[in-house]
Amino acid sequence: MIIEALIAVTFLAALVTFVLPDRIAGKAAFALSLVPVLGSLVMWQQYDASGNALLGGNIAFETDVVWLQLGQYDLHWMVGVDGISLPLVVLTTILTTLAILSSWTPISERESQFYGLMLLMEANLLGVFTALDFFVWFVFWEAVLVPMYFLIGVWGGPRRKYAAIKFFVYTNIASLVMFIGFISLVFGLGDSISSLRLPEIAQALQAGQLSGFAGLSASALASVAFIAMFLGFAVKVPVVPFHTWLPDAHVEAPTPASVMLAGVLLKMGTYALLRFNFTMLPETARSFALPIALIAVASVIYGALLALAQQDLKRIVAYSSVSSMGYVILGLIAYTTYGVGGATFQMVAHGLISGLMFMAVGVIYNTTHTRMVTDMSGMADKMPVTAGIFVAGAFGYMGLPLMAGFAAEFFIFKGSFESTVMAAMPLFTGAAMFGIVIVAGYLLFAMQRTLFGPFEFDGDYEITEAPFHDVAPLAVLLLLTIVLGVQPDIFFTMIQEAVNPILELGGAF
Amino acid sequence: MAGILEFAPAIVLLPFLSFLIALGAGRYMPKGGALAGIGATAGSFLLAVATFVAVSGGQTYNQTIYTWAEGLDAVDLTFGLLIDPLSAMMLVIVTLIAFLVHVFSLGYMNDDGQTGLPRYYAGLGLFTASMLGFVVADNLLMAFMFFELVGLCSYLLIGFWFRQDGPPSAAKKAFLVTRFGDYFFLIGVVAVFATFGSAAFAGPDAFPVLAEEALAGEHSVNTFLGMGEQAWFTVVGLLVLGGVVGKSAQFPLHTWLPDAMEGPTPVSALIHAATMVAAGVYLVARMYGFYALTPTTLAIIALIGGFTALFAATMGVVKKEIKQVLAYSTISQYGYMMLGLGAGGYVAATFHLMTHAFFKALLFLGAGSVIIAMHHNENMWDMGGLKEKMPVTYYAFLSGSLALAGIVPFAGFWSKDEVLYETLIHGLGGSPILLAAYAMGLLAVFFTGFYTFRMVFLTFHGEPRSETARNPHGVRWNVKAPLAVLGVLAATAGLVNMVPVEKLFGIKGIDFLHQFLDGSFDSLNAHHYAELIPYSSGYIGGEAGTVAIGAAVSLGLALAGAGLAYVLYNVPEPVEHTEKLGSIKTVLYNNYYQDEYQVWIATGVVQPISRVLDKFDQGVVDGVVNGVSSVSLFLGSRMRRIQSGVVSNYAALLTLGLTALLLGLGLIGGWFA
Repeated sequence: MIIEALIAVTFLAALVTFVLPDRIAGKAAFALSLVPVLGSLVMWQQYDASGNALLGGNIAFETDVVWLQLGQYDLHWMVGVDGISLPLVVLTTILTTLAILSSWTPISERESQFYGLMLLMEANLLGVFTALDFFVWFVFWEAVLVPMYFLIGVWGGPRRKYAAIKFFVYTNIASLVMFIGFISLVFGLGDSISSLRLPEIAQALQAGQLSGFAGLSASALASVAFIAMFLGFAVKVPVVPFHTWLPDAHVEAPTPASVMLAGVLLKMGTYALLRFNFTMLPETARSFALPIALIAVASVIYGALLALAQQDLKRIVAYSSVSSMGYVILGLIAYTTYGVGGATFQMVAHGLISGLMFMAVGVIYNTTHTRMVTDMSGMADKMPVTAGIFVAGAFGYMGLPLMAGFAAEFFIFKGSFESTVMAAMPLFTGAAMFGIVIVAGYLLFAMQRTLFGPFEFDGDYEITEAPFHDVAPLAVLLLLTIVLGVQPDIFFTMIQEAVNPILELGGAF
Repeated sequence: MAGILEFAPAIVLLPFLSFLIALGAGRYMPKGGALAGIGATAGSFLLAVATFVAVSGGQTYNQTIYTWAEGLDAVDLTFGLLIDPLSAMMLVIVTLIAFLVHVFSLGYMNDDGQTGLPRYYAGLGLFTASMLGFVVADNLLMAFMFFELVGLCSYLLIGFWFRQDGPPSAAKKAFLVTRFGDYFFLIGVVAVFATFGSAAFAGPDAFPVLAEEALAGEHSVNTFLGMGEQAWFTVVGLLVLGGVVGKSAQFPLHTWLPDAMEGPTPVSALIHAATMVAAGVYLVARMYGFYALTPTTLAIIALIGGFTALFAATMGVVKKEIKQVLAYSTISQYGYMMLGLGAGGYVAATFHLMTHAFFKALLFLGAGSVIIAMHHNENMWDMGGLKEKMPVTYYAFLSGSLALAGIVPFAGFWSKDEVLYETLIHGLGGSPILLAAYAMGLLAVFFTGFYTFRMVFLTFHGEPRSETARNPHGVRWNVKAPLAVLGVLAATAGLVNMVPVEKLFGIKGIDFLHQFLDGSFDSLNAHHYAELIPYSSGYIGGEAGTVAIGAAVSLGLALAGAGLAYVLYNVPEPVEHTEKLGSIKTVLYNNYYQDEYQVWIATGVVQPISRVLDKFDQGVVDGVVNGVSSVSLFLGSRMRRIQSGVVSNYAALLTLGLTALLLGLGLIGGWFA
């Protein structure tokens, strides 16, 4: 019941925050958001699952009750976590709390609504990562979009409406494509399933229950469904060439929304790819290894090169997220312990580090009211603590050893180099790894221009060190990044337990 | 002494502790945290010496101490300590130099009233700890991780004076250029794991041993991309070498090093003598058992080394700043070490690594002393006549210079001579590539002698050429003491391995370093490496004759170079002679335009490409997205006509739609069949 409690408490917290006066909304939301943090930590501490939730593994905190009936299918309220979802649950609660804390300075309008939406989004995200029934999952999946739409559209920058609508429509259309793909699988499974529970579907697919549908053979149907779902999730991740909504959304979004977008929302896409495409249709995935690896490498290199061309600090971090997500795709297609495990680890690691970077950019923006690299230099002179954490975070992003990003990237590289899905995987790995050089290029350039050199700033604002409540979340994220980098097994062991059954899957057709 | 090796982790942890103390509490402490660093490095040094003694007595240590990532049905990624003669020797060198640099910093930074001292000492502490972690690493992954941390620390320290324009730029360049090398290194690490399933340097799973056995056909390992084992090992070796070339500033990735002179001078001493730059060469020595298996890699290492030794030495002859001369000499000297390794002279290269650490640290600290005296003016043409004003610095610097130039009996002579000797005999044994590399190395000796003594004469001899040189700032014990210690070492460290004396006069048993390095694990000792290397030896007139000829030629060239410098620059009023070089001078001043083309690659190629891609992305990729949306907006505006607002219309549409949907589903689902 702890998952239900977690989601319900977060919903309640959102509702309470909505009706609170603006004056105390921020502090109240922060205090309330500590409850889910605590809850997720209790889950982590009492976690006793093993195996993959979809493949007959032991599911932690599982609830499975029939909710309502729809034709031949029972809709279940089924939730639970395994080693893939629990780290993301913990990431969500912690990052939301820190994002709320980082909102105190920049958000000064309609505060109760802002914080209410943040908590509402958290509740839905928790639903996405814990739901194990397709219907429940899809409701949460779609419901995440709504708060984010308003967060960008109301509290965003000058072009917020364009960015919000683009984000909403693009990802929504993608969801539709994904939905069609998934439902065609359901039809293809016919009578062999009696519910839309994801474990049931995954296991039916494994048992070879997929038959042809709508004139397609079983394997053709699997391919079509795979492509449709892949496209749908690819927009969410996003991978090249479906990434263009991301920089717009980031640039317009207020800092806390960016933190959540990069830190957690992007992981919905990779999480779903792993749960649906790579777990349910492993054989199809392997047959598409070449195009998927190409997409991964393209995302890494193209995203990084685009980041190199940007002058806006937020756009730099936004494009670099595309690059980092490319690594996740590379790890997933590798189908090795370190590859898929590393990809899952990267979801958490990138969540922390990109959150850190967006917050750090936000803290600088709070003081300077500009994010353009060309507008400032020598900020380290006036904001030494912020600059210090910025530098540390940037090196984390560059994959400095003993920080979480290195662990994730090394796992992925190792896993994909020794992958057997294609003979050319070492070449793809080597190509994607060049991202670690480009990322160093653009982050070092950005730091040199903005943080170092003689202090220069053209604006009218007085530049001083940020207040404690702005710096504290940065420090917490930095600490978490280092802890996970020094001891990745905190999550990596459970991740591997959940990932390894996927690797053992053979052909189903 | 039993069990002293159990304390080896403390050697690494003490400086790390000083990092934490300086970072957290440095601002509240006297001297900005310097004392914590001095205490920690002194403690590390004592422990390192104890370790060294224990290792001399035949003890070794190879233990996994931390599981970083535990693989389920996959390999574990671990940290461990490998203490053998090579790492024990390096531990002593690193801790000693780190200690002396900390002490010297009291004079260079504290006495000069610098700000940001806690940051400085935190950086030094982390730098030392990272390097020590790298030195004791028992596997390639751990080595890589600390290798990268060393890179981070050099970034932080080179860019220490971040309020100016130069240092941050130099720091960026240092990290970026070495990152480029590390990219290959990281692929190499991954490839080693994929090939051998282990990246250990020693023990039953040692990958050099596995490689050796695989080549002997005893078992098979994974190779990739359709290559045979020999070819694949060559590829892997070259990949790892990328990191070495970057960190050890070998051609063509040497360009970051002269710029790195923007950092505080004690940091330069640490980077050049004992940490960052040494890391590359040390790595090759650490996994020498692997490199020795692939002749192609060895030949490439030797060629890179020989070429870099000569190439950098020629650039050193025209520099005006004292630290620039030293920077190019560092590149050149590491070239010798690479030459030695590539030529099969494992002991010789390790020997040179040791002697160079002492005399280069000495020269940098000596230069630092001069720079204090000159109120941070580094231009040698403003100096002159400092000999009388600062005798301790002068004599120490002279000792280091004699060692650098390779004048008998100073340390550099013995080690450089052995490197060249090994190259010569293995070249004569039938390897023309080594002979070519030898020729370059030999020629570089002349230039080394010349630029070294040009530097000495311009700085210390003649008449003072500026007001500050006439009234230099005094230096205190904290500067003089480290110079004195290193001055003695630079003069005497070579005596531990007097191979020419042994061979010429038949005195057995004075090649202590050879014996010491033979005391390692079976797969890691010098004797084993000597069996592995693919070279045979050839001599001119017997072994003793070759030794004599080799030593005489290199000493003669060094003296010739020094003599030329004496003639040209040891005069009361020296003048620039570079004009005589004509257009060569311009090329040398511009460092063969190496920086230009690398900057051009970054700003002339990569940046324009990224800008074009950015336009493409916003115009085409996003254009398609926006195009699709405007088409649908247009269609939507047409469709809007259906939305008449009349409820019965909606009901009709709804019914129609539902019917169509049911019909469609029925047809596909075969309900009517």
